[in-house]
Amino acid sequence: MTTLEKALTQFDAAERASHRHSALHSVDARAKLIVTLLYIVTLLSVGSQQLPTLIIFAIFPIVMCTMAGVGYDTVALRSLYTLPFIAFVGMFNPILDNTPMLYIGGTAISRGWVDFASIIVRGLLAVQMVVLMVITSGFNNVCRALRSLGLPSVFTTQLMLLHRYIYVLIGEAIDMDRARRARSYGRQRYGLKMWAIFVGQLLVRTVNRARRIHRSMLSRGFNGEIRAFKITSWRRRDTLFTMVIASAIIICRFINWDRLLSFLG
Amino acid sequence: MSHHYIRFDHVTYSYPSGIKALDDVSFLITHGEKVGLIGANGAGKSTLLLHTNGLLMPERGKVVIGDIPVVKKTLPDIRRTVGMVFQNPEDQLFMPTVEEDVAFGPMNMNLPREEVQRRVSESLKEVGAYDLRSRTTYTLSGGQQRSVAIAGVLAMGPSILVLDEPSSNLDPAARRMLIDRVARFTHTCLIATHDLDMVRELCPRTIVMAHGRIMADGPTDDIFADTGLLERAGLC
Repeated sequence: MTTLEKALTQFDAAERASHRHSALHSVDARAKLIVTLLYIVTLLSVGSQQLPTLIIFAIFPIVMCTMAGVGYDTVALRSLYTLPFIAFVGMFNPILDNTPMLYIGGTAISRGWVDFASIIVRGLLAVQMVVLMVITSGFNNVCRALRSLGLPSVFTTQLMLLHRYIYVLIGEAIDMDRARRARSYGRQRYGLKMWAIFVGQLLVRTVNRARRIHRSMLSRGFNGEIRAFKITSWRRRDTLFTMVIASAIIICRFINWDRLLSFLG
Repeated sequence: MSHHYIRFDHVTYSYPSGIKALDDVSFLITHGEKVGLIGANGAGKSTLLLHTNGLLMPERGKVVIGDIPVVKKTLPDIRRTVGMVFQNPEDQLFMPTVEEDVAFGPMNMNLPREEVQRRVSESLKEVGAYDLRSRTTYTLSGGQQRSVAIAGVLAMGPSILVLDEPSSNLDPAARRMLIDRVARFTHTCLIATHDLDMVRELCPRTIVMAHGRIMADGPTDDIFADTGLLERAGLC
């Protein structure tokens, strides 16, 4: 299996995972969205130096994974794809802030490095919660949840179309790569010029394919909004889930874990 | 009296590249007729079909479906009346799961949810794809994709069925199932294809196209008996 085929399989695996049955899968996507948004906002409000609080916040994705019947390693590995982007956000902190903050084995760790580590942890935790929400709800249901919470349909429809376009893009890239390999006679490396042609052709092919898909959508009455076939009604368990998890998030945020741990210690 | 007919009056269409795809095309297909549309690649068959659904608009002439002219403001009615199955089913399957995809058209028709559910189940059973309803569309085989694409159109309850190369990429069993299904469709049906055996079996009438023009239009047996005509049309 080529890298592209693996990418498509993994991408589709996330969608297929949303059709499983578990305690978390059965919760309405809107409830999961509310909890995830609250988690991210609260997590971002935690100060860089409040490391015990950050560690406590790491419990939430682990608990959610248990509820979803998904291994934490799966979610953690998926979140690592975003690590370069998160690292880019915090990469200047160690350079700009050299103030020593703590000492480990006699080595001074600057405030900048602590901030950098904090950004990485917060970024990965936030992504893990989003990954959990998507693999237990399905991307389209998350978009519909966003719509029902007030995001204009033009944005949610664009997100759904973008999601579909990724399948088209990878599918076309696989076809082109197969055709290339079939005539490459074992040659592995190609120059920049060939890759430029490949990317250009890929763009043209995907635009043409997208046009055909759009035509078929129009022929079935598409008028700019993708309507949901299955709408789950908000049940008591969704309220309970939202209340319990949201309360836990808020409590974890406002407890002074430094003081509590030193008191317990 | 039903008005599910297709009428083309002197329709001409050129693509932006300047290629004239339809050149003064006129015909009338009446209610309940099954008509085969044959011709070599590039003859204009797919372009003609796209006009029946208002996906392309004539440069000159007019297209009328039932009593409704195909113009911008009538498109919702036209698309409710004409169900189109595209050449490549991969292009037609849009939603993540089979069930959601089949429901896409009926949902756009603002039907009650129970009615959509009923239509989805019925049309999937009709094409023998009910067991696939929870599958992601990406994982289906070519034949399964074709069946689901047809179900997606049937679920809209069209009065006119337009099929573009419906038997391409189908194995013999899936092709037989498709032919049987189309044979049971009691309304008007227009089928563009290279599968001449299918036309012979399904369509009492055939239209032959070449270079954007209609070369012949008549009973299928007469058309197929004229080998000179088929040779000139690039069909044998």
